Parts: sequence; C-alpha cells; structure tokens
Amino acid sequence: MKAPFKIGKTALLFLPAVILGFAVFVSGTFNLAESATAKAAAAKPAGKTEAAKPPAQQAIDPTNASSVIYLDTAGKPAGIGDPNAPPSAAFKLGRGWHPQALSAVGLAKDRFGLIDWAKLVRDNVIKPKPSLDPADEEMPPLKLDVLIPAKGDFVDDVIYPHEMHTWWLKCEVCHPNIFIPAKGENNMTMVAIAQGQFCGRCHGKVAFPLADCKRCHTSPKSASKK
Amino acid sequence: MNKLAALSILAVALVLPAVSSGEIGNIKIDQQKHSKAQAGVGVVTFPHTRHEKLNKCGDCHPKIFIDKAGANKITMKGNMEGKFCGSPNCHNSPRAFALYECAKCHENVKKIK
Repeated sequence: MKAPFKIGKTALLFLPAVILGFAVFVSGTFNLAESATAKAAAAKPAGKTEAAKPPAQQAIDPTNASSVIYLDTAGKPAGIGDPNAPPSAAFKLGRGWHPQALSAVGLAKDRFGLIDWAKLVRDNVIKPKPSLDPADEEMPPLKLDVLIPAKGDFVDDVIYPHEMHTWWLKCEVCHPNIFIPAKGENNMTMVAIAQGQFCGRCHGKVAFPLADCKRCHTSPKSASKK
Repeated sequence: MNKLAALSILAVALVLPAVSSGEIGNIKIDQQKHSKAQAGVGVVTFPHTRHEKLNKCGDCHPKIFIDKAGANKITMKGNMEGKFCGSPNCHNSPRAFALYECAKCHENVKKIK
C-alpha cells in the first residue's frame, strides 16, 4: 500500500516539470507557425501588386501547353520551341527543346514530363524508320537482353534491352566504339556513366535522364545470385 | 531526494528544446565501405547545417531519417526506391540535384579524363 502511494507522490512532483517543459516546447512551435502565417500574409499583397503590373515577359509554366518556355528536369529553361533561338545552357550541353507541337499532341510522358518514346514504340503509336535513306534496308530489332550486374552490393542489376535500342539505332552507333561487344569486357560504373561515358553518351542528353534510376536498375540483386 | 530529482528533470526539460534547435554540422556516413569501394566511390559527408537552412526538422525526422546515428541503413537502392535521400520531394525530384551526380555526395570519386 505504501509503495504505490510513494510512486504517485514522485509522479506528482515531476508533473510540473514535465508540463513546463512541454509548454515551452509547444509555445515555441506555435510562435514559429504564427510567424510563418504572418509572413505569408505580409508577402501576399506584395505579390498581388506585382502581378497587376503589365506582364513584360510571358509566364513560364511547364504545365501549360501554350507556354513559350519549357523547363528541363532541373527546372531550368530548356527551350522555347523555336529551333532558331535556343536560349539556354541546357541547349548548349546537348539537351533538346520540347517543341510546342509535340507537347500539345498529348504523347505519353515519363515522370519527368519528357516524352516516353520507348512506350510509344511498344504501344504502336509510332514506328521509327530504319534510316533517312529510303533505299536502306530495314534490320529487325535485336531481341537480346543483357544482364549487367551493378558494382555495389545494394543496387539492383540492370537488364539492358537491345530490342528497344535497335528500334532507333544501328549496331555501329554503339559497337565497338562505346561498348566492346563482349560480355564483361566493359568496365561500366555509374561514375563513368554520369561523366558521359557508356550509357551516358546518350542518356541524360538525347535519351531519358540518368535520374530515372529504376528504369534501368530493375533486376533485384538476389535474383541474379540464385 | 525527490525534490532534487524533480529539479534535475525540470532542468533537462527546459534545456532540451534549446539543444534540439542547435546546428549539427557535417555527418560522416561510412557504412557499407566495401560496397562503396566496389562501385568506385568513397564515403559520404552529409552537410546537416546546409539542410537545416533549407528544410524544417520535421520534414525529415523521424519519418525519413530516424534521428539517431547509425539507425538508418541508407543504400543507393533505398534512395532509388524513394526512401532516405531519394524521398519523392528530395533528391528524386527536380527540387534537388539528381541521384546520379555521385561526386556531389561521395568523396574520392575519380574524375574520368
């Protein structure tokens, strides 16, 4: 009987301390929230007056199909849809613009808002020609998937599809200059790829960006070990 | 005796919020060294101070990162799957630099040519 009473007494003694500490913490967070809303309220009227001024430049809105400037995956201007006036550093690095016409027809896009050309081929929306030269013979796509083990222990392996690539490209585009056509002969690393070698010769420039990790790293490590 | 304990608790309760708002600086993440060496990259130094200026504590803790050293098993696979640094509003989105930019986080990334 005595012991529970003692515990209750100690708990009572601690109570004010806990309440005080909690109050200090809560008031701190409330103050922060209050100041944030106050700031937002102060900022709003200023923004309105700016918007009321005559628009010197047209608005940059990547979600609006009639917008004149398109943004790249980093949110920087990628182009204005006019091939004669490339405006940005992204263009100089080899990233293309997104012409207005292409954007407006509603082609399938990936999560970066870039047109998913591979999906369009798979869905029979488009059919790439073998060559600009009409006399060139069509080579059927090569159905050969290559498993490329990831260097790190924790990253999923890559399954490289020849099929999708040979829809667009001839063998000589990649072999033997970029990739030695033998299994295990190419010492590929993400470091090298990010610096523009191997896959990085095209991906991140004219093909889908390297930031789309899971589009290549699809095969779980445990699957290849079994 | 009880009074002393209560006083010490009071002191801790008052000091804790003050401590939690302080700067933490750089955190060295040197887990999985072997795997990192295989991939040709070094350890990661996470600039906590820089992230404090851009985000609120609650943006990352405790949902994305448990705020205890060594409690988070961060891997590039996890990052790619939208966990840890690669959370959907962070380094897996246009809000921050992309995951493939190895040298921005990892040390000793060799420059190729």
